[in-house]
Amino acid sequence: MLCNRLLPRSTARSAFRNPSSLPVVVAPTQLSRWRRTYASASEEKDLIIIGGGVAGYVAAIKAGQEGFKVACIEKRGTLGGTCLNVGCIPSKALLNNSHIYHMIKHDTKNRGIDVGDVSLNLQQFMKAKDTAVTGLTKGVEFLLKKNGVEYIKGTGSFINEHEIKVDLNEGGERTVKGKNILIATGSEATPFPGLEIDEKRVVTSTGALSLDKVPESLVVIGGGIIGLEMGSVWSRLGSKVTVVEFLDQIGGPGMDSEVSKAAQKLLKKQGINFKLSTKVVGGDTSGDKIKLDIDAAKGGKPETIEAETVLVAIGRRPYTQGLGLENIGMELDERGRVIIDSEYRTKFPHIRCVGDVTFGPMLAHKAEEEAVAVVEYMKKGYGHVNYGCIPSVMYTHPEVAWVGQSEQDLKSQNIPYRVGNFPFSANSRAKTNLDSDGFVKMLADPETDRLLGVHIIGPNAGEMIAEATLALEYGASTEDIARTCHAHPTLAEAFKEAAMATHSLPIHM
Amino acid sequence: MASLATACRLSARLIARRGPADASIRGFTTSTRCLVTQNFTMPALSPTMTEGNIATWKVKEGESFAAGDVLLEIETDKATMDVEAQEDGMVAKIIAGDNSKAVQVGTRIAVIAEPGDDLSSLEIPAEEPAGQQQPQSSSKEETKSESSPEGKPASLPSDGKKHEQKYPLLPSVQHLVHLHNIDPETVSRIPPTGPQGRLLKGDVLAYLGTINAATPATITERFTKLSHLDLSNIKVAAAKVKAETKAEAAPTPAAAAEQPPTPEPDSEVVVPLSLAKVAETQRRIQDTLGVYLPLATFVARAAEFANDDLPPSARPPTADELFNQVLGLDKLQPRGTSRGFYLPQVDALPQSAIRAAAAAAPRSKSADLIDILAGTAKKTKPASAVTGLSQNDTNVVSVTVPKGDEKRARVFLERVKVILEQEPARLVL
Repeated sequence: MLCNRLLPRSTARSAFRNPSSLPVVVAPTQLSRWRRTYASASEEKDLIIIGGGVAGYVAAIKAGQEGFKVACIEKRGTLGGTCLNVGCIPSKALLNNSHIYHMIKHDTKNRGIDVGDVSLNLQQFMKAKDTAVTGLTKGVEFLLKKNGVEYIKGTGSFINEHEIKVDLNEGGERTVKGKNILIATGSEATPFPGLEIDEKRVVTSTGALSLDKVPESLVVIGGGIIGLEMGSVWSRLGSKVTVVEFLDQIGGPGMDSEVSKAAQKLLKKQGINFKLSTKVVGGDTSGDKIKLDIDAAKGGKPETIEAETVLVAIGRRPYTQGLGLENIGMELDERGRVIIDSEYRTKFPHIRCVGDVTFGPMLAHKAEEEAVAVVEYMKKGYGHVNYGCIPSVMYTHPEVAWVGQSEQDLKSQNIPYRVGNFPFSANSRAKTNLDSDGFVKMLADPETDRLLGVHIIGPNAGEMIAEATLALEYGASTEDIARTCHAHPTLAEAFKEAAMATHSLPIHM
Repeated sequence: MASLATACRLSARLIARRGPADASIRGFTTSTRCLVTQNFTMPALSPTMTEGNIATWKVKEGESFAAGDVLLEIETDKATMDVEAQEDGMVAKIIAGDNSKAVQVGTRIAVIAEPGDDLSSLEIPAEEPAGQQQPQSSSKEETKSESSPEGKPASLPSDGKKHEQKYPLLPSVQHLVHLHNIDPETVSRIPPTGPQGRLLKGDVLAYLGTINAATPATITERFTKLSHLDLSNIKVAAAKVKAETKAEAAPTPAAAAEQPPTPEPDSEVVVPLSLAKVAETQRRIQDTLGVYLPLATFVARAAEFANDDLPPSARPPTADELFNQVLGLDKLQPRGTSRGFYLPQVDALPQSAIRAAAAAAPRSKSADLIDILAGTAKKTKPASAVTGLSQNDTNVVSVTVPKGDEKRARVFLERVKVILEQEPARLVL
């Protein structure tokens, strides 16, 4: 360019930089004027998603990929919902680190590692968890951006069937209109009648994730997965933990009884006390310690137990508060779930609903599957989730994982079955790891050998269940699993051996 | 070791010699698939064929044939077709002779031996069990005798349809197929009950008659039920009916009108421009310094400056930029500005004339691929002639930009305008 030869570029530029009132001012005003017109032009969306949890954000990304104009409304301030913020992810951070702590403290000597003083820095411990959470929620936000989803931080509520009013977190209000609307508001912890939750002394899973000190004693009301996981965390960190469960088995109704009994035995060995078939009648939080009145369901005598902290983990319930469902006459069932049909449509065909707020197990991966399916229904008219093939995992140590039907399920329905069982104590890898508690249990049809259910308790069960889910999804027989090569030495060999045990005989037992 | 193996082989051969006559021909192999004779079953000549009539056999019992020879003619309701031999062989026995009517697909119609076999000494195991002339009978017993080549029950739980397996067979199925010598043709006729028409172990077992024929279907039914959310027993909560204030019932659906008109692939952004100040500066410089600076210099230098720090172009932001936005880093260091590569065109002519000229002389709109890849692609055509401009007003400055970049181009042009109209002297002093 000619001018470059006459005068260096920098000269011309610096000439304007000093008193530069003119161009610098011009640019932003132009820009902002443009932005404003742009925003008002795109108010009607193809899809508005209320809730940025696992169901909501996955649906948002999927819809963005399908070419929809999408807005995702979330009031928490961070995406990812319960799972990422106060559920699966932070609890796994605590579980993993508390396990390492517990191991260093109690399990290194016989491995030939002498460790000096071990102490817990709870503050740093919590910070590690928060870092994981922040990283992941930001990652989700990034994914929304990448897929062109508008992320609206605020509380959405229905004005009518097509319009949603958003009370923005930063103040102000905004109305968005959508051709399709997806309700994905998730669930919240069910409160315990008679005990007021303050998230300090009486906590739900949310508060249990960020206690500011290790309580000397902790009573967990509810022996389901959440209760046992959080109970494990604080027990490993030094609390005296007691689990009170109304049913006669821990792990919730889906867990195979045999596995449940084994889990109870192993957790008891770790120092957790169990009171099964026991009901909490009432509580008193006035004193220094919280007093709970419990009553054995069958023929026991009532007693009172004391605890510094009480964790209420009796389940979760659909969350539709403030959603304005009454404004459009949306129907809920008796347990507060939004009523849907098999294509996730509510009584308004353009309003659909997935995740914890509607039917089915309250699991993040189930919500994720549904989110993809519901967008496929909108876009292509067909989507599918195989509800018979959704795995469940409890991340205690040892882990418990299962998919398909349990033995008590089959028994109660008079379905014939064959059982194969292989203990990790006969597995070379588990033996070398000095971590050989648990077993793999398979249930198959006695005639066709088709896999009906797999129940694992043992190290890494949560990862191993993926193979079982794949097999179940493909209608495999246990022989198919047994005829598939598994690497040696791995824990997964136990899985193969259990398959062999089901249809013929295991080699290593 | 070697001698031991030899010894074993020798003894095996000796044992074989002592065996029945046919064994001397076969050697010492006793595995199922290597048995002397093979059943020849009624082939399915079309996917829908379930039965057919045998018109004539083209080979007689005891005759040898080579691969490709026509063995027999089969009549179906549609046509008469020749059946060719897949490999060399000899017809040991014809079971369903000429003019057999309504022979079911898959039933045995002949027994085939290998060429050169001695028929008289051949043991035809197929003939040993009584009543083999009626292939429809007694399938159960047959399947029990594992080593029999006709481990194939005549009463198939087959719907006659073809179920081609698109994927490799499951390991267990493959195993059963080999174990029982089921040919691919037959495999494809076993009704599958697995997901997406997959053939399961249970299906083959049912076909072989080892298990109850109905079991696989029953299990599949159960699985199908489990795969759906149970929405059968919904108890609707009593609705808390509020006085609904439905202002307007039907919100207007998206009309075509609200869709913004799709812009042309390349659009031209035009800003009016007065060159009075520039002309004045030119004059002053010439008067004081005696140097004539052409207008192109002013324009080029103004463009040089105005290209700095433009708002981002409409290209999708990179992953890094997005992530910085999420983390709020873009606010610390205002991102979103980038250097442009615009070259403005200054014209005195009204726009319509420019367009006409452009149409007459096609611009080199399509950028060189190398330029694009090297990131040096000019988004505009260079300012060509800056002649015939009026010195006061009615000029226009324009750039041609790809669709979506109008905002950026407009900012650029406004800056050029401001610079040239207000303080052009600074460009050269």
